[in-house]
Formats: sequence, C-alpha cells, structure tokens
Amino acid sequence: MTLPADVIEREALELDRVWSDRQGFWGWLTTTDHKSIGKRYVATAFLMFVAGGIEAALMRAQLARPGNTLIGPDRYNQLFTTHGTTMMFLFAVPIMTAMGLYFVPLMVGARTVAFPRLNAFGYWTYFVGVVFLYVSLFANTAPDVGWFAYPPLSGPEYSPGHRVDVWAQVVTFTEIAALVAAVNIIVTTFKMRAPGMSLNRIPLFVWAQLVVAFMIVFAMPAVATGSTLMLAADRAITMHWFNPAEGGDVLLWQHVFWFFGHPEVYIIFLPAMGFITPIIETFTGRPVFGYTALVLSNITTAFFAFGLWVHHMFATPIPEVGQSLFTAASMVIAIPTGVQIFCWIATLWGSKPRLTVPLLFVLGFLFTFVNGGITGVMLASVAFDKQAHDTFFVVAHLHYVLLGGGVMPLFGALYFWFPKVTGRRLNETLGKWHFWLFLIGVNLTFFPMHILGLNGMPRRVYTYLAETGWGTLNLVATIGAVTIATSVIIFLIDVVMSLRGGELAGDNPWNSSGLEWATASPPPSFTFLHTPFVTGRHPLWDVKDGLPVVTGLSTRERQVLVTTTVDALPDYRHSMPSASIWPVYLALCMGVVFIGSIFSPYFVLGGLGISLLGLLGWGWSGVGERQEERVALPDGAVKVL
Amino acid sequence: MHSAFDPHSPQARAVAHLWWSMFAVGGVIWIAVIVAMLIAIARRGDVDFGGRKRGLTIFVAGTGIVLATFLAYDFAVGHDLAKRGAPTLTIGVTGHQWWWEIEYEDLRPSQRMVTANEIHVPTGQLIEFKLRAADVIHSFWAPNLNGKRDLIPGYASSQWFQADTPGVYRGQCAEFCGLQHAKMAFLVVAQTPTDYLAWRTASAAPHTPPADSIAATGLKVFLSSGCPLCHTIAGTDARGTVGPSLSHLASRQTLAAGTLLNTRANLMGWIVNPQALKPGVHMPAIPLKPAELNAVVTYLETLK
Amino acid sequence: MTELRREVDVAELPTVTFGPRSLMWWGTLGFMTIEGWTTAILVVSYFYLRQNFDAWPPLRTPNPSLLIPTINLLIMLVSLVPARLAADAGKRLDLAGVKRWLAVTSIVSIPIVALRWWELWALNTRWDSNAYGSAAWMIVGFHTSLLLLDVADTLGLTLFYNIREMPAKAFSDTADNSFYWYFTVGIWIPIYLIVYVGPRIV
Repeated sequence: MTLPADVIEREALELDRVWSDRQGFWGWLTTTDHKSIGKRYVATAFLMFVAGGIEAALMRAQLARPGNTLIGPDRYNQLFTTHGTTMMFLFAVPIMTAMGLYFVPLMVGARTVAFPRLNAFGYWTYFVGVVFLYVSLFANTAPDVGWFAYPPLSGPEYSPGHRVDVWAQVVTFTEIAALVAAVNIIVTTFKMRAPGMSLNRIPLFVWAQLVVAFMIVFAMPAVATGSTLMLAADRAITMHWFNPAEGGDVLLWQHVFWFFGHPEVYIIFLPAMGFITPIIETFTGRPVFGYTALVLSNITTAFFAFGLWVHHMFATPIPEVGQSLFTAASMVIAIPTGVQIFCWIATLWGSKPRLTVPLLFVLGFLFTFVNGGITGVMLASVAFDKQAHDTFFVVAHLHYVLLGGGVMPLFGALYFWFPKVTGRRLNETLGKWHFWLFLIGVNLTFFPMHILGLNGMPRRVYTYLAETGWGTLNLVATIGAVTIATSVIIFLIDVVMSLRGGELAGDNPWNSSGLEWATASPPPSFTFLHTPFVTGRHPLWDVKDGLPVVTGLSTRERQVLVTTTVDALPDYRHSMPSASIWPVYLALCMGVVFIGSIFSPYFVLGGLGISLLGLLGWGWSGVGERQEERVALPDGAVKVL
Repeated sequence: MHSAFDPHSPQARAVAHLWWSMFAVGGVIWIAVIVAMLIAIARRGDVDFGGRKRGLTIFVAGTGIVLATFLAYDFAVGHDLAKRGAPTLTIGVTGHQWWWEIEYEDLRPSQRMVTANEIHVPTGQLIEFKLRAADVIHSFWAPNLNGKRDLIPGYASSQWFQADTPGVYRGQCAEFCGLQHAKMAFLVVAQTPTDYLAWRTASAAPHTPPADSIAATGLKVFLSSGCPLCHTIAGTDARGTVGPSLSHLASRQTLAAGTLLNTRANLMGWIVNPQALKPGVHMPAIPLKPAELNAVVTYLETLK
Repeated sequence: MTELRREVDVAELPTVTFGPRSLMWWGTLGFMTIEGWTTAILVVSYFYLRQNFDAWPPLRTPNPSLLIPTINLLIMLVSLVPARLAADAGKRLDLAGVKRWLAVTSIVSIPIVALRWWELWALNTRWDSNAYGSAAWMIVGFHTSLLLLDVADTLGLTLFYNIREMPAKAFSDTADNSFYWYFTVGIWIPIYLIVYVGPRIV
C-alpha cells in the first residue's frame, strides 16, 4: 500500500524532533549522530592528509639537491616520522573507517550505527591523538625514530626524552578509535541491515568495511600490545621486553609491529576497493561482474594479509625456511587482488561508461596501483628484497600502493558521495584538473624512486652526497611533489566553492543503485523516514512501483530496527541513546591517562579515577526512562512490562 | 660505483638477473592491464560480460602459473645465494652510531687488525662478514656486491660475497639508526689478491714514531688532548674504543664514515668542528690552537 | 522523492531481547574478542622471550608462589555462581533476584580485586628485574585492568538497581554483565596455568 503524503510529512516532523541535536556548540559537542561524527571524522582525517602532505613537501624540498641544508637531521627525522605516523595512523586508517561509519548505516538502510555514543567516543579519542601529535611537532618534541619505532633505537637508552613516548601514545589513541569503529561497523552490519538484505545482497562497500573491521580487531591489538603495553612500559617503568641485556628481544617488536603493520596496508586498501565497485556500477549502469568472486577476494585477502608480516623482516636473521613460506603467501595474495581488477575491467568492457571524475579516479587507480602491486610481488622475493629493502624502491612501491590503491579511490569516493553528504556536487572541470595533476604528480614523484632505490639510496636519509649521482632523479621527484600539492589545492578550492555554491544534487544525482541514494541529500537527522525493504542487490534499480519500506517504528524515541544476522529478518526494535557529553568526557580522560602516563604513573591512577566517574555517568544517562516494553524472553515468549 | 644495477659479484649478478626478468614480466603484465582497461572503456558494442565466468577461471589459473614460475625462480636464486663454500677470509663488521668497525681476524695476534669504514677484500675469493651491532640496529649493504643484512643487538648474523673485479664499491647503512643514519657509509675496496696482501701487510705494520718534528709534536698533542679517550692508534698509548680506530688513517679514502674525502683540509675541518659537517655525531669539537691542529693533522697524515 | 510502499509493519516486534538477539551482546562479544586476542599476543610474547633464557624462571629467581593465586582462582570460580544466578534472574525478569545476586556478585568481587595485589607479588620477581619479570607482570597486569573494568561495571549496575527504577532492558544488561564476567574468569584460568603453574612443570 502506498503511504499517504500527509502521514509522511507528520512522521518526518516527529522523527526530526527526536533525532536532531540541539542547536549551537553544545549540540555540536554532544552529538551522537553518526553522520555528524562521520563528517568531522572525514574532515579531520583529510586535514591530516594535508598536514602529512606538507611534511612530505618539506622533505622533498630538502632532498631536491645533494648536500642541501634547508632542514637538518633532527628536524628531518621528526618530519619523516610525523609524516609516516600521520599518514598511516591519523589519515589513512581513520578516513577509511570514517567513510564506513558514515555510509555503512546508510547503505544497509539503518538510521544510525549500533553504538552511537561509542562512535562519538572513538572520534574524540582520535581527536586527542591528532592534537597531541601536532602540539608535539610544534614544541619540537615530535617522535623521530620512524613510524615503525624499532627498539633499541626507540628504547629508553637511545631515545631519552619524550619524543618516542609521544609516538607510543598517539598510536594508542588511534588503536582505541579504530577498535571501537570496528566493533561498531561489525555489529551494524550484522544486526542492523534493512529487512531483506541477506548476506548475499550486502553492498560490496559494506562487505569491504566488514572484512576490514575484522582485520582491525585482530591486527590493532598487536600494535597496542607492542606500543602501549611493551614499549611504553620499557620506557616508563624500566621493563625489559626489548632489552637484550636482560633477556628481552628486539625482534619481538618487529614481529608484533608487522603482525599489525602488514594487515594495516590492507585495512587501508580494502575499503578503497569497496569504493570502486559502486562507482563502476553507477557509471557503467550495470551490476558488477562477479559479485561472489569480489566478496571472496576480500575475505581471502584479509586472511592472507595476516600471513605476510615476515616479509618486512627478510634482512633479519630468521630461518630461511620460514622466509620461503612468507614469500609464497606474499605472492598468493596477488591472486585475489588480480581477481578484483579482472572483475572491474570485465564490468567496464564495452559498457561505454560515463567518464566522470569519480570514474577517472578509478581508472587512475588501475594505472597506478597495478604498478605498485607488481613491485609488491617482486619484493616478496627474499633475494630481491635484500637489495630493495629499506631503499627508495620500497618508498616508491608503498606510495604506488597507498596513493594508487588508497588515495585515488578515496578521491573518487569523495567526488561520488560529496553530493549525498552536502547536497551539492563538486565541480567536474576542477575535478578533472585535480585528477590529471594528481595522476601525473604521483607518477613523477614516485617512479624515479624505484631507480634511486636500486641505485643505492636508502630510506630515511636527510641528505646525500653529490658523488652518489642521485641528484637529478631527486629533483624530478620534488617537481612531482609540487604537482601533487597543486592538485590537492585545486581539490580544496573546489570543496570550498562547491559547499557555498555548487550545483544542487537531489537525492540520486548519478542514478546510482544503493540505499544511501534513497534518502534526501544531505540525509535528514533520522536518515530514513522508513527503514527500506530490500529485494535485491541494487535496491534503487530494482524498484518497480515505489520503494518498499518498513513501518511501525516509534516516532517518539530514537528507535531502530534490529534484524537477524544471516537473513536480515526483522527481529526487534531497539532504542538508541540520545546526545551525550560522556563520550567527550571519557575521551578526555583517556587523554589524561595516556598522555599523563608519559610523565607520572599518578596521572594514570588519577585518569582512571575520573574515568570511573565517566563510566558511571555514561551508564546512568543510558539507562533511560521506565516505559512500557515488550520483552522477548529467551524461551521465545513475549511479555509486556 | 653504488648500484644494484651494476653487479660485481656472482651474488649481486644473480639478483640482478632475477630483477631484470621480473621487470620484463611485470612490465608486460602492467601494459596488458592498461591496454585491457583502455579497450574496455573505448570499445563500442554493448558486450556484457555478466554470466561468463570462464574468463575468470582462466585468469586465476594464468596468474597462478606466472606466480608459481616466479616463485620457483626465486627459490632457485635464494638457494644459490645460500649455498656457498668455506670462506677464505672472515671479516668482523660492527655497526656503531654512525660508523663501521672493521676487524680482520687472524690466529696470529700481530696480524689481528681493526680499522674503520673501509673494507679491503681480495677479488675472486668468498669473504664472510660477521655482523654485530654495538648499539642500535644497522644494516650492512653494498649493492654492487650483495643484498643487505641487518646488524641486530642480541643477534649474530652474517653476509658474504665474492668480488669479481678490482674496484671501489660504496655501501651505506640501510636501517634507520638515528640522527646521522644518512652519513653512515663505507667503502669496499676490492683488490687483486697480490694488492690485497700488500695492503694487509702494510696495515698490520707496527706504528713507526714520527721522524718529522712537527709530526712528533702532533703525536704529543694527540695523546695529551681528549683524542685517546675514544680513539686507538695501534702502537701508541691511544687505546680508546668508543670511536673508530685511527691506525693507518692516512691510507683511507674517506673520513667520518664516507662523509668527506680524506684531505688535509677536510681532516682539519673535521677535528675543529665535526658537528658542522655531521650534526649530532658523537665526536665533540676539539679545541686546539692553530699550531697544535697543524701538528696533529701532520702527524695523522703520516699514518699510512 | 521516490514513492514509498509499505511492505511490512514491525509495530508488534519486541523492544527488549536477550543474548545474541541484542546489540549489546554483540558489542560485548566484540570487546571480549579484542581483549582475549591481546592476552593471546602477550602470552605468545611470553613464550617467545622464554627462548632467550636457559632457565625459566631465570637463575636465582624463585618460582611463583601458588597459595594466593590458587585461593583467588577458587574465589573467582565460586563467583561464577552468583553471576549465573543474576543472569538467570534477569532472564526471568525477576527484579528481586537480580538485585540479590548482583549484590552477592559485587561482594564476592571485592576480595578478588584485593587479593590481586598479593597475587602480583606472588610472581616473586619484579617487572624491572628481567624480561621474564616484565612478561609475567604485564600479563597479570593486563588481566587486572579487565578485572577492574568488569568489577566497576558490576558495582555500577548494582548501585543503579538499588537507587533508581530500572527499565526492562536492564535485565538484558544484567545478563550481558554476567556474560562478560564469565569471560574475565575464564581467561584467567589459562593465565594462572601458564604464569603461575607453568614455570614449575616445564
């Protein structure tokens, strides 16, 4: 039955009253709306991309010619450490999970994430980490031992002072933020999908986010153990995890770090693969080729990603038999990635796609990423890796992978979903300038680095001698970096201009198929007026006579529909908490605990004490009023209380 | 002089061959993907792949075969590199922040010899390097001769190569090791066995007291200032082990771990203000009067 | 706007559920997985470091004492009973039962926390003595943080039940709280065996 217009209008008003935040700063601070949190998460992470980019530009300026004295070793080491830490921990992982936190609910037809207050807590914890690292950089106490912080260099003996402590704790904040985001994405995907969205109908974007969330759950604890527990304890209370003189072991660090560090790459890469499918589907106007193959590729990639970490340690004295296994695993992982690329090209094949900016970035991804993938397979070879390891060849490889495989799809995604988030489209002409300059810039910067690396240029050097002959290619790379910077500036100008006066987008400007396009742009506070009902993999393309929806959720509280894990059958109605200050408060408490731990254990005790208050407040404010409830008992009976 | 593209040992050559074959195959694959992508978007005629799964199976099988071939080749190279006879010479290499300590072992104590930042090896012989780290992790890498190997506190490791042709090959620390990681280079000087023996004999020769009076003054100044606290000159009372050994310093080509050419002017500049040339280096500036400096440098230049 | 068509009405569905049907249970499971995995990584690291030692515990380090840890293990096992009874009462919507058994669980949890202090010293080494001490202290210390969090949760819930009217969904929270308590106790059993008993038998 078609819903009458006046009912729709009344319900929209009631829902907005329940779901929207208070006006003003307090409302902004205490919001638990996943869309507000998601937007500021993406914006903060993008700001970190710009910050990391500025650090990269400074490094490129220093390396433009041999023997340059623009930046000394002390500053340079802080810059490359902050660059790596920012890009990996404060940009790439957060922006990918943030895209998930914003879009997963929209794509599965949910009004919010499973744990909205936890979501806000995650963002604010991350925010504390961002502020902490950048205050340190300007206070000349930024970490200077690389984003990998190998002991004993990062240990108390060779890095006195607080620089490494800053690193260890910045990582802590990102770990917490990523872990709570992962739990949120997993439970949202498992339990809050619109009725009818069985496992085999989950959008590939969401599949990618789900797989990555599981990867975070198993990868992040490793670096948390390494940095927050072991390294910080070695430094603060003289533990001996990494002190060979007392039976500690410096290679233990490399194992726990890379057990996280290699999956990390796929934690960045797989969400980007999730962006690509809907973009290709939309602009070819056809369902993607090989849905099942793509899902399985995601899962196998995630699985193998945990079996590769030793390929970062081929130059260390570990048994050669073990190394061979890791070589084989590192090569096998090329297969699922190849399968994905095959499926996308097959989808594009003869489709006469619309060459919009999002699709251009996808093509740019193929052009650039495949190069990085191939050098990745090369680096899996122990013999070759011993030449290339820790040289500019690896710098080239990883930037081809991360810029090609992560950032290009991300830019495509930003152009693609910007209209949904803001209601306005980005400018296509500026977008094309952005795309071409970025593509040229990336290749100009990083292609020469392959040659530099094999010509003997190690990573993380603040200068080099003229006699090495590395000057020309370094100059080329620096020119490339300027090109990249120009392209990003064009993008920022485009964003600012489009926010003010961009073309209005409407609900579904690209004629795309996902549920996120079934609501207004930008989505209202309650996201969906009615939870959609899904009958296929492409809900909006499958619509015949009106979008089928679910009715019966309360308009008097923040109620959402919870469905069963496999088949997404309607199961119960769950009430979500409203805005709350406690997430912010607890995030600040975490700041006191972890930043304070650098200076005195008493800060830890004090911080935990005030956290206790926060936990009580969180629990108390979440209890909610006593009202009539329909309780489903474990034996199946329903009792009204 | 410093490139994996220009191999001068069987070890480096095997890896270079591996690299060029990977480069060729990888290049073909890359071009194939780009061409496929361009055809896909340019192609007219609404060919829909949907439903044709056989292409995917063939693709996976093809990828598998290429990877398996590559894997087999890689294992073969790895096996060859690991297989080696008994080394004719064993050289100890210890990584310090930021220089290399080089130790030539010998059963005869008089022939034991410690030097720094410059490794002389005979050509045509397999040389083994015993690698140790004195402080943090470093990595020993001379790309023309072989891949790198980490020097890790608490672990013993080794690397080896057999230089084909005489020449000077540059190497550099490849694992970030702190402030002056960038200026922690070394030279491998490959010499014909005859030349090598001559060098070895000269380098193990005992210290000859300087004949020249300025140089003699230089030795006195050297011993009475802070120098011997860190440096050794074999045959004198200077027995410090914190910094590189200066025995036969004048025979070396570079100063400060490959940072500067070993010239009189550079040596003077280095002693007066090492921090300007290698900021953060553990050597302090040595306050010497001009005459003293002149004497010390004159003396050091006699250490052929 | 796309036209909307009513497909299904959910007004009659329940608003409170227990166990795997509820969101909170899944969230709890998620954090258990993270904490359990972190513990596993610490345990693997403990064994990794053991390779560097000829003797374990190292020479001149006595074995960990067993008295206090064993007593505390027994108290933890006993505490599972009131936790289970509280969960069962919650699942029956039995308010009095929930209050009673939550209170008992809270009371039993106090000596567990208190004994943990002596339990740490029962390791008979210090965290800064050597890598063995670091590993043992870290594993027990990390579990202590889980324990404190869980006890705080239990005490908070008990407090709330006694000072205000609680909605029906708190019954489900009570069951989840016990679920988390089983985990905290359950994961302690291998830690006890590895850290306290292990050095004596291998």
